[in-house]
Amino acid sequence: MLEARNLTRRYGDFTAVRGISFTVQEGEILGILGPNGAGKTTTLRMLTGFLPPSEGDVQVAGHDLASAPLAARRQIGYLPENVAIYPEMRVEEYLRYRARLQGLSGGEARRSIAEVLDRCLIADVRRQLVGTLSKGYRQRVGLAAAILHKPRVVVLDEPTVGLDPKQIIAIRELIRELGQSHTILLSTHILPEVELLCDRVLIIDQGQIQDQGTPQSLRERWRGNSRIFLTLADDPAAAENAITALPGVVSLERDPTVQGRWILEGSRDVDLRAPLFHLAVERDWVLLELAEEKASLEDIFVRLTTQETTTSETTAAPDGSEATEVAS
Amino acid sequence: MNGVLATMGRELRSYFWSPLGWVILTGFLFFQGISFQTIVDYLNDPRAPAALSPLGFFFGGTLFYWLTVLFVTPVLTMRLLSEERKTGTLEALLTTPITEGQVVLGKYLGALVFYIFLWTPTLAYVLLLARHTELDWGPVAASYLGTIAVGGLFLAVGTMVSGLTRNQVVAAIGTFAILFLLFIPAFLDGLINDPGLKKVVEYLNLFQHMDEFGKGIVDTRHLIYYLSATVFCLFVTSRALEANKGR
Repeated sequence: MLEARNLTRRYGDFTAVRGISFTVQEGEILGILGPNGAGKTTTLRMLTGFLPPSEGDVQVAGHDLASAPLAARRQIGYLPENVAIYPEMRVEEYLRYRARLQGLSGGEARRSIAEVLDRCLIADVRRQLVGTLSKGYRQRVGLAAAILHKPRVVVLDEPTVGLDPKQIIAIRELIRELGQSHTILLSTHILPEVELLCDRVLIIDQGQIQDQGTPQSLRERWRGNSRIFLTLADDPAAAENAITALPGVVSLERDPTVQGRWILEGSRDVDLRAPLFHLAVERDWVLLELAEEKASLEDIFVRLTTQETTTSETTAAPDGSEATEVAS
Repeated sequence: MNGVLATMGRELRSYFWSPLGWVILTGFLFFQGISFQTIVDYLNDPRAPAALSPLGFFFGGTLFYWLTVLFVTPVLTMRLLSEERKTGTLEALLTTPITEGQVVLGKYLGALVFYIFLWTPTLAYVLLLARHTELDWGPVAASYLGTIAVGGLFLAVGTMVSGLTRNQVVAAIGTFAILFLLFIPAFLDGLINDPGLKKVVEYLNLFQHMDEFGKGIVDTRHLIYYLSATVFCLFVTSRALEANKGR
């Protein structure tokens, strides 16, 4: 549905995005995850035709963005990062304007507007000036404008940034609902968002794809040693030696805050929970807690992105003033 | 076409929806009113030289005319593209299926229509004169045509400068500076002896153009000058927008 091949964007000597290639399948929700300044916005701008790439090309539903820009753009609905909307326009008026830009006929436009007002839950503010709306409402108006012409691909740049928790939940629900009928490409630096919404994730940093896959497969691949919390009643004295002797235990330390609680680190291919249970039964210890901490995508993300920074710092010092920030 | 009309409509609406449009309109009519009254006063005096037409005077005959046009056009065009770029609305606009050329043309036409709207109340002066004296309608029509041609070029220059910056003040001052350059041939007219050069300077003399329009002479060479320069500016704007929209 949407294909990027070898996308590269340079700003002078600084390369914001280098050789990114990926495909978004029809009906998929693909997340682009990366820290601020990783090149997410630059990438999305190239995909939507706002920024011409220095190298590489983009295909949208079979249309080449460079040679058939209008046909390609017609298939895209784009919500830019800062959701700028003319403040002096009323919501409905803005949507009518967008409908005309998209070339919708009068009847089509009326139907579409009524539909998106409803769908994005903004029917109650349709007569209000955009400038007087809260950020959450403005975001929804932007989203309504992006899906007005029933695009096949919806591109959302940090759709929940700057919203309060309630608004975030509302927008996420909306995106999930949209995902049932649209192909969605979503950028974010918020990890739970990706885990909640996306079928597949690209992790980018320093303008390159560091890894990709489903949230589960990423977690699987990047899982480190397991961490297990264990609490035994009465804090038996023999516990420390007996547990350390179990195969697969890398380290063991006391939880300084709770009497009798241990934090274990186990090697990644061994599940220590069963041996621990059997050990407790054998020694007649009373097991109060036995829990494994799951490696979150957050850990993976931090590992991938910090590792990259340290290696690249030695080779080239990237321009500190991030180009995508300057551009927005 | 739809895209041009949509951007033009939005631009026009934003003039009427914002205080700026009304401030410009008020100031414009205030100065035109003073200008008209002064002219009529002057020509009513028996000592005034004969064979001067009040409307010829009104259109281009005084500094009132040139100063107002010179001030009004940069203010009308300063926000056209620079504001879109600054607030970021340009991004949502240029990712819709509409070309940069259509955006530029739509915005320019929006400003032009508002400029024409500014002048329409001055028809009242014409009608006022027509009640009291024989009016030759040819020169009146030619004067309005000339005013639209001159204003059209000025607005195109303003659109171009607005497309090159994200700062409205820079856009207005830059436009003002370039428009001032357009007047230089008129200032040089009396200072040049070389006959070849004099011809060139005469061709570019805005004062003389308006003077002729005021007399009812519609010289196609003048119209071609304004039209081609206008098209050139809009073309440059559209290419510039295409080249650096994402920056």
